[in-house]
Amino acid sequence: MAIIGKRLVDQVRSTGLKATVAQRLDDGFTRLTSGLSWNDVRGVLRGDPPGKPNNRVKPHTEAFWFHIRPTFYHEAVTTLYPTFRLGYMSALFFAIEIITGIFLMIFYTPSPERAYQNMLDILTNVPFGQLMRDMHRLGAEVMVVVVTIHMWRTFLTASYKKPRQFTWFTGVILLIVTMFLSFSGYLLPWDQLALWAVTIGTSMADAAPLVGPQVNLLLRGAPDIGAGGLLRFYLFHVVLFPLIGVIFVAVHYYKVVRYGISLPPEMEGVGEDSARKVGPDKRVNFMPDILTNELVYAAIAIALLTIASGTFYNAALETHSNPLVTPNHTVAPWYFYWLQGLIKIPHILPVLPEALSTQFDSIMFNVLGITPKILWGIIIGPVIPLLLMVVPYIDPNPSRRYSDRKVMITLGVIFEVAILYLSLAGIPTGVPVTRFGFVGGDPASEIAQEFMPDEGVGKVKRVPWDQLAVGTWQIVPPDEAPNAPEFNHLLRELQQDMDHRTREADPNGKKLSGGTANVRVKLIQPDVKEFTLTISFTDDKGQPQQYSKTNYLHRNSGYEKE
Amino acid sequence: MNFIKRIITFQPSWTLRIITGMVSVVAFISMCLITGVLDISGAMAERDHEFTGRNIEAGAKYYFDQCARCHGGKGEGVDGLGPALSYDGFLGKWDPAKNTLGQSARLKAIGWTSSLKGYIEAVTAAGMPIKSSPIWENPHPPFALAYGGPLRDDQIKNIATFVVNWGPGQVAPVATQPEGGAGPQPTAAPLTAQQEKGKQVFLGAAGCQACHAIRGVAAGAVGPTMNKLATTAEARIKDAAYKGTAKNALEYIRESIVNPNVFVVAECPTGACIANVMPATFGTSLQPDDLNALIDYLGSLK
Repeated sequence: MAIIGKRLVDQVRSTGLKATVAQRLDDGFTRLTSGLSWNDVRGVLRGDPPGKPNNRVKPHTEAFWFHIRPTFYHEAVTTLYPTFRLGYMSALFFAIEIITGIFLMIFYTPSPERAYQNMLDILTNVPFGQLMRDMHRLGAEVMVVVVTIHMWRTFLTASYKKPRQFTWFTGVILLIVTMFLSFSGYLLPWDQLALWAVTIGTSMADAAPLVGPQVNLLLRGAPDIGAGGLLRFYLFHVVLFPLIGVIFVAVHYYKVVRYGISLPPEMEGVGEDSARKVGPDKRVNFMPDILTNELVYAAIAIALLTIASGTFYNAALETHSNPLVTPNHTVAPWYFYWLQGLIKIPHILPVLPEALSTQFDSIMFNVLGITPKILWGIIIGPVIPLLLMVVPYIDPNPSRRYSDRKVMITLGVIFEVAILYLSLAGIPTGVPVTRFGFVGGDPASEIAQEFMPDEGVGKVKRVPWDQLAVGTWQIVPPDEAPNAPEFNHLLRELQQDMDHRTREADPNGKKLSGGTANVRVKLIQPDVKEFTLTISFTDDKGQPQQYSKTNYLHRNSGYEKE
Repeated sequence: MNFIKRIITFQPSWTLRIITGMVSVVAFISMCLITGVLDISGAMAERDHEFTGRNIEAGAKYYFDQCARCHGGKGEGVDGLGPALSYDGFLGKWDPAKNTLGQSARLKAIGWTSSLKGYIEAVTAAGMPIKSSPIWENPHPPFALAYGGPLRDDQIKNIATFVVNWGPGQVAPVATQPEGGAGPQPTAAPLTAQQEKGKQVFLGAAGCQACHAIRGVAAGAVGPTMNKLATTAEARIKDAAYKGTAKNALEYIRESIVNPNVFVVAECPTGACIANVMPATFGTSLQPDDLNALIDYLGSLK
């Protein structure tokens, strides 16, 4: 202590107080950056050329965060193409998820009694709570997209080929981790969306041969998702998957540093890998060029994410989960639509004529005990990521050039189209033209579902509360309520929908016949209205039937904002 | 092609980097600041309002599912089944100036010192001691999952929020008993042998008691109560919407049993009444003798 004090005093005596403070601060700064002084960093940010010797290399050997980045790149990979910075963006979103996730963790308890109330508290009692939740949710969705496009890009430029096979392999694991991270987070708000999306997801595991029920029990902690399942998914979400993610990001990054970023295919000879053989004239130093670019991209991404979350994007929070009530048309998260679509494939060999394929199904069931659902959802479904993992090991073509890879690229495009097609089939409306995957109940309940969905905000909830005119209103033909334009619009839309379903049969051949309907609005409390839609129709047997559905609407619920 | 090439070989200049970088950082910080200021200056409170509204909506749904059969769709109580809730003797008088509810006479009478909402939640969850309310024969059943009922705690909280929300729109109690909602015992006259037989049919062969209530006899809560049925029947025939052929109360009762869909009343405690809930098979499944006795018995409830 005395010695340091003496040195300090000596320095102040010889150079003056101001210079000493400046020099000491710069010392500390240089230690933080592992070798760059304040002026060096300023030079980096201004784009000044490096000095000789280049002291900007030092952080790459000394500091953890820079040692996972190369000191220089080939100039051909520093433009937008070929990387589009997608790997970097994936890592960035992973970091954003961790930061916003830690914020949300503070206010969250993984227990069925408390979780939903915690969500309400985050939205109504925690400053920045809604912003953080929206950023976390939107960031997760964007991350799935970015990671998927990153893989797609790597496939197209054949960057998975020797020596980067294992990099690709870890990348597929990271894709799966990303999806499971997002999926496991789905359950945590403990609303209806959460419970049923995850119930569907884990039911897929349940159908797997031999180990299915055991896997399902392990995931859920009980035959149905309850306290045990919520806790397990919480631990998956905040411990297991992030841990696997961090480990594989580290391996993935190491491999990128080790082998460099592959050059655009057309710049290399067949079977050649020249990413690390960069002549001095082709080098672009990480500092300042790449670093500043990355900082700018990060700043733009974070700003856009924050603005979207703060303005128009609102993460949905539906009603409290209820294991006894399955909302109509429940779906898995969108990135698992393709799995739901796979399960809807009706036959083991859907290309055969109907009669033959039915017969083939029964033979397969009797001999091997597999049904189309087991084959497509449980066997083929998980095989797809495994197939992606082994792509670099089974692709015999040494060339990375587009013109030499027509077969592989065609296969890739077919794969992508198939996934998109199956994803469309996974949602209840099915694929637009072929209507494969369509799911629909009887027309009356479908009309009610369209206007008054079990969960979420439908057209009825969007009508301003004051315009919901008390009384009974006929739909065919639509009555006119005084001074309620949006309510009248709703009645006309109902009439059009009924008319449409009367004229045209749905893909299952169901049609509305003899349909009449009325809407009854009643004030049941000073601020609560009861909205009942009653549809009368004739069923297939010619019997008169009635279907009615009720929504309760409070003046303050603010649905029109969603 | 040239355009695509320009995009994929794009390298932002230093000026562009510095400007977009700074603009983005400023945008990020301002968005955070704006959100923070909005949150603490009313946005959170507004969302709280919205979610309270949605909780009341959920409470309404559970109320009409579980409570309205005995407490009525307006909280007016159902004779023979459950007391009124939406009147000042229970909720306390609404004070429009202060926007609050006053002291509840009922809670004062039974010595409940905690909050009204707490009382509603406690009774809904765990039921209540039968002797606290001597005019009701049927105990309040427990509704909480923990005590063997069907409802989760959050659902019970929503129901209590909904019931208290009647505060500003209280309806008058249907009767003058301390708890409201309970009329005097129906028909004091002794039953004839034929009517006694009809009562046994009501309780036995026909199974009416599973769905219908008669004060002191049965407590079914699916269909309408049968207290003072003869009086109600007279009123129904005079109803402008009545479409049947009955000329007097006994004919109306017969028609309602044999052919229940001829006339479905518009309003039920749980919302709009639905046709086809009452089976239309009693005309054939009951012996003519039993049916006559049953009608005689029901017609005696005045």
